[in-house]
Amino acid sequence: MNMKEIKKIGRNWLRRDAAEKLRGNPVFCADLTLENPLTLKVLRSTHAHARIKRIDVDRASRTQGIARIFTAADIPGKNLAGIINKDHPLLVPDKVRHVGDAIALVAAETETAAERALQAIQVTYEDLPVIRDPEEALKEDAPRIHETGNLLFTRKIKRGEVERAFDDCAVVVEKTYRTSFLEHAYLEPDAGAGYVAADGTLVIYASTQNPHYDHGEVASLLGVAHEKVRIIQAATGGGFGSKLDLNTQGFIGLALYYLGRPVRYVYSREESFLATAKRHPLTITIKTGTDSQGRLMAMRARILCDTGAYGSYGIAVASRAAVHATGPYEVPNVDIEALCVYTNNPFAGAMRGFGAPQAAFAFESQMDLLAGELGISPLEMRRQNALREGSFTGTGQKLTASVGIRDCLNAVKPFYERVMEKWRHDPAPTFKKRGVGLGAMWYGIGNTGLQNPSTAQIEMDPEGSVTLYTGCADIGQGSTTVLSQIAGEMLGLSPGAIRAVVADTKYTTDAGATSASRQTYISGNAVKDAAGKLVEILLTEASNLLKRPKESLIVDSGLIRDKNDPEKTVPVTDIVRRAHEKGLSLKCQGSFDPVTEPLDPETGQGVPYATYAFACHLAQVTVDVLTGEVEVNRIVAAHDVGKAINPAGVIGQIYGGVAMGIGFGLMERYVPGRTVSLNDYDIPTCKDMPDIVPIVVESAEPTGPYGAKGVGEPALIPTAPAVLNAISDALGERIYTLPANLERVLEAAVAAGVFPGSHGVKQPA
Amino acid sequence: MEPCRQVPVAFTINGRAVSLEVAADETALHVIRDRLLLKGTKEGCGIGECGACTIVVDGKAVNACLMLAAQLQGRNIMTVEGLIEKHELSVLQKAFLEDHAVQCGFCTPGMLMSSCALLKDKPRPDKGDIVDAISGNLCRCTGYQQVVGAIQDAARRLFGEKA
Ligand code: FES
Ligand code: FES
Repeated sequence: MNMKEIKKIGRNWLRRDAAEKLRGNPVFCADLTLENPLTLKVLRSTHAHARIKRIDVDRASRTQGIARIFTAADIPGKNLAGIINKDHPLLVPDKVRHVGDAIALVAAETETAAERALQAIQVTYEDLPVIRDPEEALKEDAPRIHETGNLLFTRKIKRGEVERAFDDCAVVVEKTYRTSFLEHAYLEPDAGAGYVAADGTLVIYASTQNPHYDHGEVASLLGVAHEKVRIIQAATGGGFGSKLDLNTQGFIGLALYYLGRPVRYVYSREESFLATAKRHPLTITIKTGTDSQGRLMAMRARILCDTGAYGSYGIAVASRAAVHATGPYEVPNVDIEALCVYTNNPFAGAMRGFGAPQAAFAFESQMDLLAGELGISPLEMRRQNALREGSFTGTGQKLTASVGIRDCLNAVKPFYERVMEKWRHDPAPTFKKRGVGLGAMWYGIGNTGLQNPSTAQIEMDPEGSVTLYTGCADIGQGSTTVLSQIAGEMLGLSPGAIRAVVADTKYTTDAGATSASRQTYISGNAVKDAAGKLVEILLTEASNLLKRPKESLIVDSGLIRDKNDPEKTVPVTDIVRRAHEKGLSLKCQGSFDPVTEPLDPETGQGVPYATYAFACHLAQVTVDVLTGEVEVNRIVAAHDVGKAINPAGVIGQIYGGVAMGIGFGLMERYVPGRTVSLNDYDIPTCKDMPDIVPIVVESAEPTGPYGAKGVGEPALIPTAPAVLNAISDALGERIYTLPANLERVLEAAVAAGVFPGSHGVKQPA
Repeated sequence: MEPCRQVPVAFTINGRAVSLEVAADETALHVIRDRLLLKGTKEGCGIGECGACTIVVDGKAVNACLMLAAQLQGRNIMTVEGLIEKHELSVLQKAFLEDHAVQCGFCTPGMLMSSCALLKDKPRPDKGDIVDAISGNLCRCTGYQQVVGAIQDAARRLFGEKA
């Protein structure tokens, strides 16, 4: 690599797309101007599990302002979608599996006409037994939700001799932890728009995390060649995993295919709640044992994931929950089994962390319980078991570099010691109790034991201007800015000077999903690879011209110069001209695919991820034992991100993750059939936020671009466990089910005998 | 369904006088987005829970999805599009940009309008005032920290240090 000073990496760069959003420009799907568009709406099932005997659209089709009504029979291609397993029909042909399943698509002149038609469609259902509980679904005689059976997937991880190890343990703790369905509640309800281009291409604007996946899926649903479909990611108002599934894309494609007129489909908040993926509720029974010194010796876990009506990312969630169940600790003997099960609940898919947040709640609660039994401080308990270079994980992977968990624990240590000494014991107001808790985590970057490549191109035009082509969807996390910084660093240009063509399937190649905290690491490397190849061409040409060895040349601010002889320079544009004259292409292709090894189906042994992010949060809470209210006073959040390419962006992710973690820990719960909209689903407001002290730890990853790993999901994972451990510290009683809402906290306060009504506690005069 | 009764309304929006006929049950949000084609104001829920549709009406921050268009009569309205000063971002918008207060940006126009109303009312707000002012604006991305920071910065730049 060039020996020039690093200038663009590790500095705060302003987000490239912020100005247009601040101006209120029409960049989201719902804002786009279309020529005389039709409005789309879907008739959704009101039954959780039923055979469809008949769909009568006759009367509805004759209502005023209806262009057409579509049912499954109209789908020209393969009526099944799904990124991992294809089980999700765009419009159900014969049976509904959850309330909200799509039955018919209406294309109408106006919103009102569409609504009227929806009401006029007659569906005759024949009810089937409804399964809400995944344990029920697993029973031998349970009705089958899908032909293939209700057990979608099992991930086993087995290492060492668990039973024998438990026999030798000094302390063993076994508990069951439960979490709820969650709604992603991104601020922009799902939306899409489209038109048919002059050449017949179906052009679809989407609010999406993965345009290239959408592309393949729409082409397959319609049975058309890939070139016939173009997906353009419009500005996307958050996704957090849910916008990895198709939302409106397939419906828009279907309407365009038949009607040829511009269409738009904007979900109401209610439809977004009803029809899109949720976070998987997990039931985790976990048994953990240590020796008398507190060294973890064995763990057994059974994890049940309710994936609802469809698979979506369920397999990935189960797999990741299993791999991450040990936490960032060395556990020599493990026996973990995660089952992913269909029910008639809303389908569950990816949500920030893919099962790792749920697993962290369980393993971090276990750590505190064990520390309590052993009489060691929770911090020491974690420090002495934390993974290090040379450690083996539960899947038998030997970690060789960038294992920053100890650094994170050490970063939090002074804060922890200070609050344990003073704040924790300072007198709290009457009926209020203070508590302090820790939550640590690890998170594998990228897909679990699967290939997950990214590609990118960098092109220099004859004037020396650079264009970056990337399929990577920026959904608000700032990937376009980070990728521009990487390209800028390589090419000695300001990131702002690089034109970016992003997430348009006509001009970009596949960068994979914006998920699994993978884009900085994987697409960052792809961009670096492409830029490196371009630099190589430029330097080769310049070396010929300047008669200097290539190794001594660098490209910087539009010049190529000799490091050792500042007089020796040539403008990049001269080199570009020479290259063009010689017919050399200055559009370079880059790619990266992290090295992983598939997990063995029986033992789960393998290398699921090339690198891991680590973190530890410290939570200080004040619990009101009269109301059950928990005030989170402060979160200290230390994150090993490898290298913060754009520190302000990393810190923004940490803040946002903490907010979502507080929601997960204390308030959020989506109840199928009951939760309808934002008035019965609370997410944290500005008032719920604690002071946050973000600490960026940089344990460089040798295979990462400039050492970077990722932070998007890790940001959220430790918060809820830290808060729950703090509540338990405050009350002396633990909560095993999330969220720790008012009821559950009060219940715990009563059980702990600290609720003023409880026996033995004196009411103050 | 009977077509709804039409009522005439006249109001000022971003300094421009408009008069039009609106349906009696039409929301201000609908008129702003779909009739006046000002798409900066967002719809995140339609029921007054998210604040994405916040506009400033006679100096006060209001949820446009809860306001009837007929109620706009005689009022002075400002939307995010009205913040721009001579094609440039205003001080408040620049502070949001420079303090990294925008992630996905969907909540941003609403946040800007709530803070704009706050700064008009209280040029030197303390942190509590800011938290109150934007407590009706949900943001799922930022955790609010950089938003609060940006509003503090904007106040400082506009009106000087807090006394
Ligand atoms: S759209 Fe008005 S408050 Fe949500
Ligand atoms: S920046 Fe995405 S909702 Fe606020």
